[in-house]
Amino acid sequence: MSAGATPWCREVAMPDLVFWAPVMVGGTLAGASSGLLGTFIVGMRIPFLGVCVAHAALAGAVFGGLAGLEGTQLLGPALAGAVFTALALGMADPRRTRLDDNTVLSFLFSATMGLAFLGIGLHGVLGRSDHDVRALLWGSLAFCRWPDVGGMLAVALALVFYAGACFKELQAILFSRELAEAAGIRARAVWAGFLVLAAATLTVNFQTVGGLMIYSLISNPAAAAFQVTRGCARTMVVAAALGAASGLGGFLIAAATDLPSGAVIVLTSSAVLLVCVAVGRRRGRGAAGLARPAGRNPSNERDGAAR
Amino acid sequence: MTPNPVLDLRGVRVEAGERVLLDLEAFQLGAGEVLGLMGPNGAGKTTLLRVCLGGERVAADRLRVLGVEVTRLRGAALAALRRRVGYLPQLLPGRSELPLTVREVVTIGRTARAGLGRRLTRADAAVVETWLGQLGLRALADRAFQELSGGEQRKVLLARVMAQEPEVLLLDEPTANLDLGWREELVATLERLHRLSGRAAVVVCHEPEVLPPACRRVVWLDAGRVVAAGPPEEVLGTAWARRLYGPGLRVVHERGRHAVVPGGGDA
Repeated sequence: MSAGATPWCREVAMPDLVFWAPVMVGGTLAGASSGLLGTFIVGMRIPFLGVCVAHAALAGAVFGGLAGLEGTQLLGPALAGAVFTALALGMADPRRTRLDDNTVLSFLFSATMGLAFLGIGLHGVLGRSDHDVRALLWGSLAFCRWPDVGGMLAVALALVFYAGACFKELQAILFSRELAEAAGIRARAVWAGFLVLAAATLTVNFQTVGGLMIYSLISNPAAAAFQVTRGCARTMVVAAALGAASGLGGFLIAAATDLPSGAVIVLTSSAVLLVCVAVGRRRGRGAAGLARPAGRNPSNERDGAAR
Repeated sequence: MTPNPVLDLRGVRVEAGERVLLDLEAFQLGAGEVLGLMGPNGAGKTTLLRVCLGGERVAADRLRVLGVEVTRLRGAALAALRRRVGYLPQLLPGRSELPLTVREVVTIGRTARAGLGRRLTRADAAVVETWLGQLGLRALADRAFQELSGGEQRKVLLARVMAQEPEVLLLDEPTANLDLGWREELVATLERLHRLSGRAAVVVCHEPEVLPPACRRVVWLDAGRVVAAGPPEEVLGTAWARRLYGPGLRVVHERGRHAVVPGGGDA
């Protein structure tokens, strides 16, 4: 870690704790909220959403910078870019556009990346610095302070509230958006609302703890939870817990070994996924859908109502 | 003319560019009736079901589902109608990686009825348990949906549809990709569900073997048009089988079931 040569766990001084407390809480919070988000994002097979939203936020911030905004003021246009992109994905009707969600994401990603680079180029043409823009979007966990944690907590609570209020609708959408709509569930509106909150959570987390860490915390804890548990609510809780454990555990390992915290958190969440894959295979859970041959299940007949 | 039809379509036309997907003069489904909707691939069977769900851009003189004109419905009004219609898709949904349990999938049938932001009640849970039992799924209730065989997944989706307590069922190839044992189980289940609920149903299928005995009328579609309609014994005769599938075949009708078998002469 960058703060001092003495490993943190061996010699903890109170000033160190005061400095690192928001970092630890921020890492835990980023892991938990990203793990919860990942349950839906990975469940819908759109993990690319994180990359796409990051570039949309970057594009927003870049043009905010061109408009004369500075520092934390750039969070506004960054959020607007991310939310607009998430809404575009949510409102796109796959049957009308004849495009898969991932194809729409790919289009949005390339378009927002193009806009971001265009804006960065314009910064150079106009002789302006894009330092604030880069700092906002690609923050570092080591510089996470209590106000940052407050922002992360606010969007995380909004996400938890929304996931709780629309839990049964989100569960139906996760199973099949088309089937949910056919059954009279307002799937498009609920999904769009979720994507807006996802965009907000990702943008706030990006500018606080950095992009690479968030990508890994979206996909790895959720994918790990899918391996070791079943059921929507339980998977959400396990994914959030594994995300929090990766965030905090990775930070503590980094502190103990004096290694870069972001990289260690990413590797910790990757290791958690590998362990869960092994546990899932041992239980015959992970690959069950592929390995089990189609056929009748004797247990099915025991209910006595089959015929 | 059917009195108080559940589905009442007149002058319905669906186009995709130059291609006509559906061109119906009239199509009705009576209360409590089980109708077999048959025809070759691309005949417009699935399109007809989607039209009834308000999922297609359509030109129609009349398109009433459960007495409600569908063509101008949008948003909440369309969702409210869809809650009353039980739809079983042809293809199994397999997109989600999330390991939802069988009970959770059946519970989805109660979601729209409960309403946005409202929790499911004990009565909802009781309905779910009832249909898990009715379809012989209690032993599988805590298993992940993806871990089940194709036949088991079909039954789970059927239980989901029934848990919705719909007023009409639209079943799109309910036995698609199933082996003979599972096909027979599904046909028996459909027959039993009709006896239990008495709900009107459209069963889309390719083979007459899939029609349950409760099905007393078949509509044959070709290129989006109704080319034959009537009792299965009349529409699905040996002449029909030979015209479609070649000589040397005949159709056997027995105890309300119908099967194409090799052999000469009419049955």
